[in-house]
Amino acid sequence: MKVVQGFDVSDMTRFNPDQRAPLWWGILGLITIESAVVLTFCVSYMYLAAYADTWPPRGESAPPMLWPSINLGLLMLSSLTMYLAGRAIKRGNQRGLAIGVTASVLLATTVLVLRSLELMAYEFSWKDHAYGSIVWTISGFHYVHVTSIVFGSAVVAILAWRGYFTRQRQIGVVVDTNYWYFVCFAWIPFYLLLYWGPRVYGQ
Amino acid sequence: MTLETPATPHDRIDSAEQATQLERTWHSPGGLLGWFTHVNQRMIGKRFIITAFIFFLLAGILGILIRLQLAGPEQQFIGPELYNQFFTMHGTVMMFFFAIPVMEGFAIYFVPLMVGTRDMAFPRLNAFGYYVYLIGGIVLFGSLLLSMAPNAGWFNYVPLSSKLYSPGYGVDVWTTMITFIEVSALTAAVELIVTTLRMRAPGMSLNRMPLFVWAALVMSFMIVFAMPAVIVSSTLLILDRLVDTQFFIVEGGGEPLLWQHLFWYFGHPEVYIILVPALGMISTIIITFTRRPIYGYTALVLSVVAIGFVSFGLWVHHMFTTGLPQLGMSFFTAASVTIAIPSGVQIFCWIASLWGARIRFATPMLWVLGFFAIFVIGGLTGVMVASIPFDTQVHDTFFLVAHFHYVLIGGAVFPLIGATYYWWPKITGRMMSETAGKWSFWLAFIGFNVTFFPMHQLGLEGMPRRIYTYVEEMGWGDLNLLATIGSLVLATGFGVTLINAIWSVLRGRRAEPNPWGAPTLEWAADSPPASYNFRHIPVVESRWPLWDWEQAGERAVVTGLRHDRREVVLTSVLDAKPVGVQVLPAPTIWPFVSAVAASMGFIGIIFHPIFFVIAFFLVAFTLVAWFWPRRPWRDD
Repeated sequence: MKVVQGFDVSDMTRFNPDQRAPLWWGILGLITIESAVVLTFCVSYMYLAAYADTWPPRGESAPPMLWPSINLGLLMLSSLTMYLAGRAIKRGNQRGLAIGVTASVLLATTVLVLRSLELMAYEFSWKDHAYGSIVWTISGFHYVHVTSIVFGSAVVAILAWRGYFTRQRQIGVVVDTNYWYFVCFAWIPFYLLLYWGPRVYGQ
Repeated sequence: MTLETPATPHDRIDSAEQATQLERTWHSPGGLLGWFTHVNQRMIGKRFIITAFIFFLLAGILGILIRLQLAGPEQQFIGPELYNQFFTMHGTVMMFFFAIPVMEGFAIYFVPLMVGTRDMAFPRLNAFGYYVYLIGGIVLFGSLLLSMAPNAGWFNYVPLSSKLYSPGYGVDVWTTMITFIEVSALTAAVELIVTTLRMRAPGMSLNRMPLFVWAALVMSFMIVFAMPAVIVSSTLLILDRLVDTQFFIVEGGGEPLLWQHLFWYFGHPEVYIILVPALGMISTIIITFTRRPIYGYTALVLSVVAIGFVSFGLWVHHMFTTGLPQLGMSFFTAASVTIAIPSGVQIFCWIASLWGARIRFATPMLWVLGFFAIFVIGGLTGVMVASIPFDTQVHDTFFLVAHFHYVLIGGAVFPLIGATYYWWPKITGRMMSETAGKWSFWLAFIGFNVTFFPMHQLGLEGMPRRIYTYVEEMGWGDLNLLATIGSLVLATGFGVTLINAIWSVLRGRRAEPNPWGAPTLEWAADSPPASYNFRHIPVVESRWPLWDWEQAGERAVVTGLRHDRREVVLTSVLDAKPVGVQVLPAPTIWPFVSAVAASMGFIGIIFHPIFFVIAFFLVAFTLVAWFWPRRPWRDD
């Protein structure tokens, strides 16, 4: 059979830093899956709350608001520094990228420290009742995720300081940034549920 | 860019050394160590398919043992404890370790070929998914040999599966390995979605996509939205068992029904996750063996999508006897009956396609016709049990066992065996025996009906499922004996196909590239395909490219891909216009190492929670090694 030329792709870009890159879609897939997990945890929380006589159980008070709210602010701030880092490399500013990612990693590490102190101060254990179980599980789930973005982005930061990322070669940053947003923004429903939920629900 | 501008486009197309160069670029390393580095989509797909069929065989043997135990009243062939392990493993393995992986395996093998590309979007992730599956499967089946297999049913209901009523490691193995293997299902699903949406051959707009690719796409989306629920539910259960959380413990304020909601929110779509790719296989086979375009392409696509959506609104019909509010149950009855509509549309489109066509009754077609008979019966009993009063009567009886085997074996296994016969020459380069194929079909078809049809009657007579024996006075002996004989005939039928397959590999007739005269792109590749699938990436102008080329006597292709590294064309989502070129990663050991590290965590937490932390960091380090950019950094 005769073979004729249809499309010539020799001059097309081999660098795809946006929606063209399979990896961009891959991380979107991961975020979708994890969002479904986040949603399932939220539904489980509400299901347990709906079937409980009192929520939180008698003798427990709703957890303090101050530190989780500060954490919320820090996570949002880290998303901003991450966003700025991404913008910097889009302009080819390698130093801006490195500083931005490093700042984000430090902010998220602070969150981890604060969360650790806060969790240690909880008056109830996961063993005590279903309320304790779901609060600890959701907290642990998010804690592990913050740990993973700290770890992953630290690697991105190292590569950024070594000048690996350029205006063209930046898909790694794009992917890391998107996942970072997901982890930070996933804190919003959890925060509302864990800290505002008992106050709204209890009255 | 190192590519030289050729004198004429044809120089570029016909250069003979290109094929050699392509082979050098895309081939998988040899040797034992090389085996663990393969990332090629056909290798991974084939591994998924073969491993899944081995689990089918093993779980099938368990099924036969169950039937032998039930053949007569008050038998002591296998005791109750082993019986519980056997039916739990039979269900679990068939659903999680056979049905989904085999469907994904076929999709992994054929979707890139059918959309005209050289590999999948994330070849290394693909390999990772396979090792996760392999390790998970070995651990789960190994637990049976160590007498610590799960024994609380494939649905693993609490409180039966809680620590109080199921001490020992059995349920722990179930929950950890199910979560683990879902990782594999999810990676494959994301791969399939991205490959389908971004890597189709230029010109293959969504409305020209082969129906099997559509089905695989819908299946993948369903996996993405259904599997997280089972991951969460089994995580909650493992926490209850390992660190004494109180999710499902009533005394601690937990809710056992939460388990059922989460499990069936996944579990019902799961049935359709298995069915949907089978629907794609059926359409594919019908097109080829009637040798004309299918009737109602758009209707078929829309109904597959509709099945995907509606299947998420049915889960409560598994819970009609748990005392939920009447209004909620009525909604789920309505939703359950609704799914008959898109299923009916499919069946009518296929009938219309067969109507007046000159059908070639080759073996794949026979299995499809067998599907019609069996699946329609299964669908009808499905509408019956969607009705609350009827369900209340037959719930947890053999009527249900009959119903879901009709749906699952009729709806998935028959099309699957048909597809195996159909695609066998493409995968192996050899034909299977038609005579043996027809023997296999008739034995399986008759055996199947003799096994499972009497179970409807047994269920109506009140025989409960999951009992290991029954007394003679119940009068269930004759039908049970009949069912057991049927199961042996059914197994013989599948056995003939197994022998046929082995015989074909050893001395089957060599297959040409397109032995059935099919219209889709996978048949444009060699049989078996070269490491790079296509020498030239095709350009597509209709739904039936091979038939077009046959008529036109020529075909258009993509040029300008480099041959010295793994390049594929990226196209736009809707109309598949080329938008860029992607360089894919080469073989590496890291996916295997990563999977081993992850499995350490999943196996380890059965014994101590600390393994979670260890494996978390181990996996993180392996991922860094996996992604670490190697110098010289690419700059074109």
